[in-house]
Amino acid sequence: MNGPVIHDAWTLPVDDNINPYAFSVDLNGQWFLQKGKMVAYYGQIDFQGVGLGHLDHLIAHSFHSPLHAADWVVAEGHGKMVLADRAFDVNSYDLDDGNLSIRSGNLLAFQPSLSLKQSIVPGFLTLIGTGKFVAASNGPVVFMEPPIRVDPQALVGWADCPTPCHHYDHEYLRGFLGAVRSRTGIGGASGEEHQFEFVGAGTVLLQSTEEVVDEISVGETGGTGS
Amino acid sequence: MLAVDLTGDSVKAKNGAMVAYEGEMTFKKRTGGGEGLRGMVTRRLTGEQMAVMEVKGHGTCYFADRASEINLVSLNGEKLYVESSNLLCTDSALRTGTSFTGLRGSSQGNGLFTTTVEGTGQAALVSAGTAVVLRVTPQTPLQVDPGAYIAHTGGLKQHFQAGVNFRALIGESGGESFQIRFEGDGLVYVQPSERNTIGGEV
Repeated sequence: MNGPVIHDAWTLPVDDNINPYAFSVDLNGQWFLQKGKMVAYYGQIDFQGVGLGHLDHLIAHSFHSPLHAADWVVAEGHGKMVLADRAFDVNSYDLDDGNLSIRSGNLLAFQPSLSLKQSIVPGFLTLIGTGKFVAASNGPVVFMEPPIRVDPQALVGWADCPTPCHHYDHEYLRGFLGAVRSRTGIGGASGEEHQFEFVGAGTVLLQSTEEVVDEISVGETGGTGS
Repeated sequence: MLAVDLTGDSVKAKNGAMVAYEGEMTFKKRTGGGEGLRGMVTRRLTGEQMAVMEVKGHGTCYFADRASEINLVSLNGEKLYVESSNLLCTDSALRTGTSFTGLRGSSQGNGLFTTTVEGTGQAALVSAGTAVVLRVTPQTPLQVDPGAYIAHTGGLKQHFQAGVNFRALIGESGGESFQIRFEGDGLVYVQPSERNTIGGEV
């Protein structure tokens, strides 16, 4: 039986996956990382919290989410860095002068050439600009095109299309009994009465389970993403 | 899942890790990890306890542990240092023991001691997600998050490295304040996931 592939500082991929669960960044400058997603690194790398200091200028340019400032760090220096997140699938995506919104818990890291903003949908972050970012998903990511209605828990993010709206299954809510069932769950609810609806041109990213990658709740009033 | 073919020989495996077998097998609990009285006492004292069974017989035995990924490590007289919770199964020709890890051990939330495996044969490690094997050379030391470390082989020196500065104290920490630094020549096994550690909270 063959042993596992052995990586060293030179053979680690450049900004690519090592295996489905681990991603290698060839750091030469700065990257933003979510705290605790770095598992190993070669070379000289410093980790600085997002706050006052010599990174002031960078943060003024690329980080516009005070709610998440405590969860992010800037990796600075030269070397190879391995990122992973609780054995979830990780993948990198390139944005070319685009915009993409993603569930805050799914985003692992991004290049400072992108600008991070808070989406107006609670619990989501929006990346604007050109550059690479790394995101985790529970199972592989599936790309879909609007018009589409998706389950809130399966939604990872969306790119280039208008912000989604809520869609409720009207047939189900019709009548007194239906309303009681959907509000209380008594008598059984299918659990699929509520979706996010996407229209317009763009791409919607879905994961193949409805188990949400844990996130930090951002101005939410109960529930995840709804 | 790991399949082991046995022809009258035996393997040592984590207690309860067998999920199925074909052929004739006997399972025997080995008190103290099969290291004799001294090993038993050492493990009891160090808290690096390992419930081990000896599997002997003819046929194929299947092992698995909580659907974790399994990584095979071939040893040729080297010494493998591994967390006992990550060790699934070893050839019976391999000797296991306990060694002191100092501050690094306490940082991993896995106690001050670790398990060593020595000899020639194969050992199976479990990890959350496929482990990444990273080579350390004198020119390229490696820093590893304590929660992601599972095992290493070779002549490696470990340092516990803390990047705590005044900003950590005011709550603007880098979140990656504690690392184990490996120097020398050898291989380090890292899992793409992190255990909960004391350092992870800082």
